[in-house]
Amino acid sequence: MSVSEQDELVLNAYLDGELGPIEAARFEQRLAKEPELAAEVDARRVLRDCLRSGLAEDVPSDDLRRRIMAVVGSAEVHKTRPWARSWSSMAASFLVGALLGGGLIFGALNDQSQQDVASQVVSAHIRALMAPQSFDVASSDRHTVKPWFAGKLPFAPKVIDLSTQGFPLVGARIDVIGLEPVASLVYSKGKHQISVMEMPNPRGLSTQLTQHAEQGYQALSWSDGKITYWVVSDAAVEELKTFVGLFQAAAS
Amino acid sequence: MPVDWRGRHSTSLNVDDQTDQARFAEVFLPHLVDAFRLARWIAGNRADAEDIVQEASLRAFKGIRTFSGGSTRAWTLTIVRNASYSWLAKNRPSAVVLTEDLDQRAREEMERGAEDGDVPTPEAALIAKMEAEEVRNAVATLPLLFREILVLREIHDLDYRSIAEIIQVPIGTVMSRLARARKLIFATLRESAR
Repeated sequence: MSVSEQDELVLNAYLDGELGPIEAARFEQRLAKEPELAAEVDARRVLRDCLRSGLAEDVPSDDLRRRIMAVVGSAEVHKTRPWARSWSSMAASFLVGALLGGGLIFGALNDQSQQDVASQVVSAHIRALMAPQSFDVASSDRHTVKPWFAGKLPFAPKVIDLSTQGFPLVGARIDVIGLEPVASLVYSKGKHQISVMEMPNPRGLSTQLTQHAEQGYQALSWSDGKITYWVVSDAAVEELKTFVGLFQAAAS
Repeated sequence: MPVDWRGRHSTSLNVDDQTDQARFAEVFLPHLVDAFRLARWIAGNRADAEDIVQEASLRAFKGIRTFSGGSTRAWTLTIVRNASYSWLAKNRPSAVVLTEDLDQRAREEMERGAEDGDVPTPEAALIAKMEAEEVRNAVATLPLLFREILVLREIHDLDYRSIAEIIQVPIGTVMSRLARARKLIFATLRESAR
């Protein structure tokens, strides 16, 4: 290896996105001219891909979450101020209750908990609309969006392109629903945005399409047994149902 | 957005009004997968990793009031790392080698790797020929400090600043250690491909 120690630090920093734009551009010019340096960068990229390739299986069992909630549930609780107690203990018991079941929150839901998830899903959609940009990765190319999720989620979401059917993909982000990270795809329809949130369904039951209305937004949900889908938008219900039909057809 | 006494923005938690359970659920639990992955790479297997994360969760819960804003992920991973080290010290004391000095064998591998200049198999081609699992197994044999930094960078996708915060070393050390870790894994792979 004939790369100097200094160059090696720079190429590592380049690979790790730690160089400023000017330094990075300068380094890229060198890479174009120095194949040895480029080979070193390449090798480290391949190593990274290898390490990240097994991530989907590298997740804890559902049992771990149950064990943790049992441990934390029996641990001594600090006293809260009396006036803070009533609502916050209610909130806590909801959280603990929701968590006790681990990922089961997305399984066979009763009406009440499904309504809770619907509210969270709609809130996540509204929050995204309030941000300067409603997605973290902007791309209409599913081959860009799908790898973007790798390493950020413990499962591989379905990324579907419906641009030829009038619903172009504009980007993606990660939301947190029921304290679990979920994949959110953003589509546009005219001036409306449609969020599709995908979350793993550990119970493995498929469910029919259900419909919720929250604060002027529609939230449609179904499950194919592996993944539970939520579609949220302020677009017209008919349009959303068309969208869901196209999405389901393409996903199956 | 609330600002704590250090002038940093705190998270969305309104700290006074929450029970410890609710805080724990917002600070620690969202990073359970990350926590498990770090512990698994340090301990080497799933069962031990889950024990470590369980112990870490208890520490996090008891110390939840010490969280005062900043990154919940870095806070969580710092606790998991400390719990992993305690676990190793208790159960596998010989595995806790907290030095960057390489043993004889690893030094030789590094040197031999450097001499391979005349028979160049580019590392990229070398790895491409191997199964991803083989490569991961090789990483699992790296000395603790190198394995840990490689995992925080590649598996957890953390930037240098967060890594420096978690393993409590200056950024310069993060840079040089990470560079050495990558070199060392290539030397190990060359050796096993020989």
